[in-house]
Amino acid sequence: MARVVLRNLRKSFGALEVIKGVDLEIEDGEFCVFVGPSGCGKSTLLRMISGLEPHTSGAIEIGGRDVSGAEPSERGIAMVFQNYALYPHLTVRENIGFGLSLARVPKEERNRKVDAVAEVLQLGPYLDRKPKALSGGQRQRVAIGRAIVRDPEVFLFDEPLSNLDAALRSQMRIELTELHERLGSTMVYVTHDQVEAMTMADKIVVLNGGRIEQVGTPMELYESPATPFVAGFIGSPQMNLFEGGAARTMGCDVYGIRPEHLTISDGAGQWVGRVRHVERLGADTIVHLDVPDLGPLVARVDGGLTYAIGQQVHASPDPERAFKYRG
Amino acid sequence: MTDRSLTARNYAMGVVALLLAFVVFIVPFLFVAINAMKTAPDAAQLDFSLPERWVFWENVVTTVQTRDYALLLAYWNSTLITVCAITILVIFGAMVGFVIQRRPSPVSRFVYVLILSGLMIPPAVVPTIWVLQGINLFKTLQGMILIQVAYGLGFTVLLFRAFIATIPRELDEAAIIDGAKPWQVFFRVVLPLLKPVTVTVIVVQSISIFNDFTHPLYYLPGRDNVTVQLTLYNFQSQFASQNNLLFMNILLITIPPLIVFVFFNRQIVAGMTSGAVKG
Amino acid sequence: MTRKSAYPYWFFIPAGVIFAILFIVPTVASFYFSLTYWDPFEARFAGWDNYVQFFSEPFLVRGVLNTLFFAFLTSALKTGLGLLLAVLLTSGIFAQGFLRSVVFFPVLVSTIGVGLLFQELMHPTQGAINVALAAIGIDGPGWLVNPKLALFSVALVDVWRGVGLATLIYIAGLSTIGPEYYEAARIDGATRWQQFWRVTVPLVRPATNTVIVLSLIGGLRLFDLIWAMTRGGPGFSSDVLASVIYKQYQAGFWGLSTAGNVILFLMIAAIVAPLAWWLNRRELEA
Repeated sequence: MARVVLRNLRKSFGALEVIKGVDLEIEDGEFCVFVGPSGCGKSTLLRMISGLEPHTSGAIEIGGRDVSGAEPSERGIAMVFQNYALYPHLTVRENIGFGLSLARVPKEERNRKVDAVAEVLQLGPYLDRKPKALSGGQRQRVAIGRAIVRDPEVFLFDEPLSNLDAALRSQMRIELTELHERLGSTMVYVTHDQVEAMTMADKIVVLNGGRIEQVGTPMELYESPATPFVAGFIGSPQMNLFEGGAARTMGCDVYGIRPEHLTISDGAGQWVGRVRHVERLGADTIVHLDVPDLGPLVARVDGGLTYAIGQQVHASPDPERAFKYRG
Repeated sequence: MTDRSLTARNYAMGVVALLLAFVVFIVPFLFVAINAMKTAPDAAQLDFSLPERWVFWENVVTTVQTRDYALLLAYWNSTLITVCAITILVIFGAMVGFVIQRRPSPVSRFVYVLILSGLMIPPAVVPTIWVLQGINLFKTLQGMILIQVAYGLGFTVLLFRAFIATIPRELDEAAIIDGAKPWQVFFRVVLPLLKPVTVTVIVVQSISIFNDFTHPLYYLPGRDNVTVQLTLYNFQSQFASQNNLLFMNILLITIPPLIVFVFFNRQIVAGMTSGAVKG
Repeated sequence: MTRKSAYPYWFFIPAGVIFAILFIVPTVASFYFSLTYWDPFEARFAGWDNYVQFFSEPFLVRGVLNTLFFAFLTSALKTGLGLLLAVLLTSGIFAQGFLRSVVFFPVLVSTIGVGLLFQELMHPTQGAINVALAAIGIDGPGWLVNPKLALFSVALVDVWRGVGLATLIYIAGLSTIGPEYYEAARIDGATRWQQFWRVTVPLVRPATNTVIVLSLIGGLRLFDLIWAMTRGGPGFSSDVLASVIYKQYQAGFWGLSTAGNVILFLMIAAIVAPLAWWLNRRELEA
């Protein structure tokens, strides 16, 4: 069993508190994604779970065991780094087997385990190469291989795909998801990319300013974001959010409506505005409006519709899908 | 500045520069080489004529045989001091540079400033002799080796620290998660990656230790401990009339740096200019 | 949470022990011994006597002044010549790489060898330099035998030996100045001369600072070249602090020798530390 439990976890650098009391339970076998803007503390939180970053107070349990004082190597975790962190002077085989050789695992057993991992990741032909001679995607696989061979209870990923190009990234997303299904291990994954979070996660943890903003499945966060921050962070294009007078006329402090939940018509509608800019994506078209009552408003409409710049249109929100926040 | 092709102007300037460089920098070395091949009376003229009789090999033999093969003993001593001091410098210096770079703290900064101060502060020679006598290392090769380590540490740590800054910290962290102890992180992951800067340290420090005259003069007196630079100095006082042998001696001790220079030009340049272009 | 750091301080210990015993302890002890009458047999407290002697005996005062003269002269020449050579050797002239090697090679040659070689070349009557000067009708001076000239001659040889390092540092500095600065200056109509003073000199400032500081420290501490060429002579005319320290040590005046050491240390600290600070500040403002 490898549940990961964080209890009132805090971290300060001097007087600066960067993690301000985090309570979280990650179930066994769950794919949990930490997401948030840069500086929100998501990487620090992951490094605290790994033990690379000591925490200031609180407790960390992995598999029912309090590992707060344990060395990183004693926590039953493995980590995949953003820049892969492959040892440049070692071959792929030596890289994957490095931890085993430190643990003085006999050579035959070590080779057997490395070969098995290489088989899973299709790295067999590259075992005797140095990392320099590998492509980005292959290096990424070696880094994952180095994690798998440790047979950890928990995998930790620190923005592992951010150095890859867009095509490779979407391929690796699928590979990682398949890997998770095959291994069934608990995985904790840090990213700033909400697409990665939405597509891969069983559970998303949205962090902001060192605190948890909301925890839920991808669809829960999309359907019912608990705060305006989550509402603005999840979904693309971003949700339209209005504060002040415009929100008060709707009877709340912050009013939000997603671009895909707006209807645009030439006839009557709730708001009147002018088309400022049109982005054609093919299947969809994103229309940017200037609405005198609200300010800028973004709508996603069917790709077949056409609007001219400066054209006057009406926009209406789907009242069922609008979000109203207080305070 | 932008036109890097060989224009007529650049060609002309190059030729003029070559002529000047020849007179200023190459002629003195030619002077050494020519006179090293002359007989003693011929070389006493100190002029630039070609040797009346070419006695290169005889001069080599005589120079080497002088004072019971003092030059060979000196070569052995200098090599021993250089090799041992550099081995210690590289390992211990890299360890210091590693922790100073990876663990920014008041302790690290204090150690760094202290070690760098060695680049500026002149060694207090007589008190150092007093300390060496106290630990029975005065007039010993071991003492000389440790002195060279102490005096070379500032430069070595400076170079290692700067280079280690370019090694991603994630490599250490990956090793820590793989279960490496601090000394394993250093010796199995970091040290193998320091090869380029280690070559630089070895080359630059070996030249400086091999060429060192002042410190062996103070800390390593005595016939049995003679080093290469001291033989040359002693030679001059003993054979004032035998310029040919003096120049042969200069020639013989200039060869090692020349060979090193030919093979490690790039590393020497890297080492000597580190810190010049401030980061 | 106080787990052990992955970067333990005990890594400092092996090097630190050697450094502390053989460098720090003697440096600290030198302050005490400089206040004693110290010889191979005993050390008696002497108060400020050694320092008083240093600043009253004419030949010792001479050593202090010579040290300053030598250091500032060689530093200025190395800085100026180094920059000119570096500009020349980055301008794309014929045989540029070979010339760089030629200029740099003396840096690597034994200082004693260089000293003895130039002692021969500077021989007043037979030396190659004066023979060559005579051939074009100039009566060459007694480079090393004229007390007024000896230190200056050694300084010239030190520049000959050390300018290659200054050049090398400047070449590294120049290589960081992108061609776009010169292109912009040319579009603005700057002449080569203006490009040198308005673009090169200000932008190569970090290298200049390094050259000045390194050559000042080296000049203040210089011993081997002077010892090989003149041993401080004729008389005491080319003595510097480093040669005085050695002579007094040889003569058994260990306390006086150590006082010389402390004076040299304080002199370097008093000159180089403020200078480095001032140069760095100007660099930041520039």
